[in-house]
Amino acid sequence: MNIIHIKAIAKKEFYHLIRDFRSLYLAFIIPILLILIFGYALSLDVDNVKTVVVDYDKTELSRDFIRTLDASSYFNVIQHLSNTAAVTGYLDQGRTTMAIIIPPDWTRNIKADRETPLQVLLDGSDPNFAGISRGYITAFVERYNLDRLIDFLSRHGKEKINPPVEARIRVWFNEDLESRNFIVPGIIAIIIMIVGAMLTSLIIAREYENGTMETILSLPIRAGEFLTGKAIPYFLIGIADVLVAVFMGQALFGIVMRSNFWLMVLASSLYLLVALSLGLLISIVTKSQLVANILAVLITYLPSLLLSDFVFPVVNMPTVLQLITYVVPATYFIDILNGLYLRNLGLINLWTSYLILALMFMVLSVTNLVLMKREGM
Amino acid sequence: MIRSGSEAIYVEDLKKRFGRFVAVDKITFSVKRGEIFGFLGPNGAGKSTTIRMLCGIITPTSGYGRVAGHDIFSDAEEIKHSIGYMSQKFSLYEDMTPFENIRFYLGIYNVPFKQWEDRIEWVLDMTRLQDVRYRITRELPPGWRQRLALGCALLHRPEILFLDEPTSGVDPITRQNFWEFINHLAQDGMTVFVTTHYMDEARNCQKIIMINEGRIVATGSPSEIICTMFPERPDADLNDVFIHLMSRKER
Repeated sequence: MNIIHIKAIAKKEFYHLIRDFRSLYLAFIIPILLILIFGYALSLDVDNVKTVVVDYDKTELSRDFIRTLDASSYFNVIQHLSNTAAVTGYLDQGRTTMAIIIPPDWTRNIKADRETPLQVLLDGSDPNFAGISRGYITAFVERYNLDRLIDFLSRHGKEKINPPVEARIRVWFNEDLESRNFIVPGIIAIIIMIVGAMLTSLIIAREYENGTMETILSLPIRAGEFLTGKAIPYFLIGIADVLVAVFMGQALFGIVMRSNFWLMVLASSLYLLVALSLGLLISIVTKSQLVANILAVLITYLPSLLLSDFVFPVVNMPTVLQLITYVVPATYFIDILNGLYLRNLGLINLWTSYLILALMFMVLSVTNLVLMKREGM
Repeated sequence: MIRSGSEAIYVEDLKKRFGRFVAVDKITFSVKRGEIFGFLGPNGAGKSTTIRMLCGIITPTSGYGRVAGHDIFSDAEEIKHSIGYMSQKFSLYEDMTPFENIRFYLGIYNVPFKQWEDRIEWVLDMTRLQDVRYRITRELPPGWRQRLALGCALLHRPEILFLDEPTSGVDPITRQNFWEFINHLAQDGMTVFVTTHYMDEARNCQKIIMINEGRIVATGSPSEIICTMFPERPDADLNDVFIHLMSRKER
């Protein structure tokens, strides 16, 4: 390995990068856009569920029920409707997620201790959202019943009553259950794949397409020098993007990394190296920028997004897909980042994931070297 | 018989097989130092495969060969240091300036940093590219790009210059200037190994080998080859020989 050779190749690669609009866009604009889009728009949290109400009862008690509902931060009563037919229109057009219909004689039934149904309609076209809304309204009604019970008992002389079982819930690692806290590590994984694998998948294919590979092969360059020199500019950009993502996560969303900063840098570097070697491998094998780009999306970007426990929980996947997740590098990187970001873990708990990433990098590098040597380097 | 010595290139029974296909079938020839050596043949005859073996890009299947004194089986790295190679596509980095291209080659050829400035001036003067040194190469006319590619291949003062169809896609005047330049280099002692399609250009070579389907079909100086082929036709030229030899093979 000759340092001057590596420097010459890295410099050349840097010129290609800064003179190609598409590469620059992928390297700098896309990462920032991703952080903003994922951070602001893709909030998986549910609050202020849009609700319409039909009140056939029209009593003090039913109006009070609706007021309490609206006052809660989970629900937002957007419209009072006069009949059930109008509700259908709202649900059909997706203008509301939930409809609550208070039947006639509701108050009278409560006062008479009879069964008192309350009709709740939910838009199930987004099952996740509907499920969470159902949980909210169930909890809300139970709370309301409890309040009524305590009210009843106190009126009959029993001043104090405690419910037998009360769950005291405390959430660890992500106290507010904010999905953003979970999203930032995922975005970093995606950004590294884009910069690392998608950009580098083009750079050897480009030499083949332009015919410059023929010249490169005739020059006294070793395969290791060639691959290292090519990867260096992308490695630096990748690390810069990671730091930008960490900084933006903190500045815009207040997501603070609790564990050691250098452990995060080490993990990002390892994962970036895996991404870079994967991109180079695709580039060497395909020798075509178009095919390389499609392959890079298919085998690096999409698995990182879909099979890494970032958006879709791996435990819910069929066994075959679960097995595939074991070879997706992002799985291990996101595991490390969640450990560092949310759980404040250290190397003692996370070393296996570090080791697996390092092994992946080594296997890919050796493959690349062998392939390059076979090409005549 | 295994020889080495005064020849710049010497190959014996050189063979390259890709699977079942024999691209180059036991060819033997030598190139003297300071010679302009023409390697002629139709597309797919084995020209590129031969040049790639001689440049240390691919390893031959069998045979023996030395280029600039280095074994083509074991010393590919040394060969690459002693030769300059220009392919038919003038494969430069077109998004870089001549200046940046030259600096890239200087780094790769291990030219000591102290000599860089001198070499850069030398090559820019020689190729008459001083005025466009900071222009993007893509914007330069093909003839200028060809000169730059050639200049880059000469930066480390190689013993042997390999030119793979160096004049494809440039106009006749540029081609003539190019050959004057090549002659000049050969007079200074450089060995030039060139493949070409243009038979009128082949007359610039001191020695020629014609190859078809991986085998040598004619060898000698241009006039020798013509005389051997058509002893009774004084008006015949290399074109006639080429067409005669290649069509005969295709039957």
